[in-house]
Amino acid sequence: MHKYNVCINILIVVCLTMLLSSCVSNKMKTKGELFPLLYEETPLSILVLPPMNQSTAADAKEYYSTTIQEPLSFTGYYTFPYVVTAEILKMEGIYDAELLTNIPLVKFREYFGADAVLFTTIKKWDLSYLILASNLTISIDCLLKSTHSDQILWRYNGTIVVDLSGGDTGGGIAGLIAKAIVTAINTAAADYVPYARVANYRALNSMPFGKYHDQFNMDREQKIIDQSKDIEKKEEVAQE
Amino acid sequence: MKNILLFIAFLLIVSSIGCVPKQMYYWGNYSETLYAFKKNSNDETLLKHMQELNKIVEESNKRNKRVPPGVYGELGYLSFKSNKAKEAIEYFNLEKQLYPESTILMDRLIKKSEASLDIDDENNQTSSEPDKL
Repeated sequence: MHKYNVCINILIVVCLTMLLSSCVSNKMKTKGELFPLLYEETPLSILVLPPMNQSTAADAKEYYSTTIQEPLSFTGYYTFPYVVTAEILKMEGIYDAELLTNIPLVKFREYFGADAVLFTTIKKWDLSYLILASNLTISIDCLLKSTHSDQILWRYNGTIVVDLSGGDTGGGIAGLIAKAIVTAINTAAADYVPYARVANYRALNSMPFGKYHDQFNMDREQKIIDQSKDIEKKEEVAQE
Repeated sequence: MKNILLFIAFLLIVSSIGCVPKQMYYWGNYSETLYAFKKNSNDETLLKHMQELNKIVEESNKRNKRVPPGVYGELGYLSFKSNKAKEAIEYFNLEKQLYPESTILMDRLIKKSEASLDIDDENNQTSSEPDKL
């Protein structure tokens, strides 16, 4: 009887693992499978272009741009000082997204010496106000393009949703009012920048490492969530 | 038995500390001071940000880490804008030495700084001429 129980237990565990792993393998792929071109070209330097802002917040562009340099450096590429390059682009009159996308990428290699350029798009940068709760959402699309081949080397989205309603403060009307006040306070104090940095880390986690990282060229087998289907879907919606 | 368990726990803790990946770079409060400067650009916030950049250089050296990419370049650029072209050139050269990938941009900025040094020299000469006359 005891042996029988053990067998059943093992069987259950095996079934569960198979079930779980089959779920995972659908959505997980290796970095090498997803971004083969990046491994092929091994760019050394990345130029971050001024972000394109598709959110409703007009000041998001300026603030978001202060959060990308640090997370990007940890991927192991040489990252040009954004403060400097953004000002140069501004002086050249190409700070706006529409103008940026029209420039042949080879120009960025000639002028700055960049092997690749990083386009970032702020998709969402907002607070959704509800009476008793508020959410902060930041969503960033990242796209890395080669200045040698014009090809897309890597693309990924980083999103973070933060619940700012400040937990439960107990029942009754007094509790509800207290909660509403807490929500208002948290919303006013909400500072997007630290969260934007988290969104960046979420996106950049999937980027194959560069030359200055000690795992450079050793992360091909690392598994990450495959977003390519989501991206295709989004593009279809956009075209419609 | 208790001792053995404690020892195992100790080993686990030690090994898990060893597992924490060493941060490649020290960035201090870089994005905070930059954000403050962007939000409210004035001499005070600029000074604070430059102090933070200098602190990043110091701390990186202390901790035997490479100065993060772009930090010397940014220091150079901000020095250049504060009319300290000589200092700027030194910083640009440091960035170039540490990260050869930056050479094209740094050379461009060095040239610009040198040009502004020449202009300063000319101004000094012309301004000192009236004294001679």
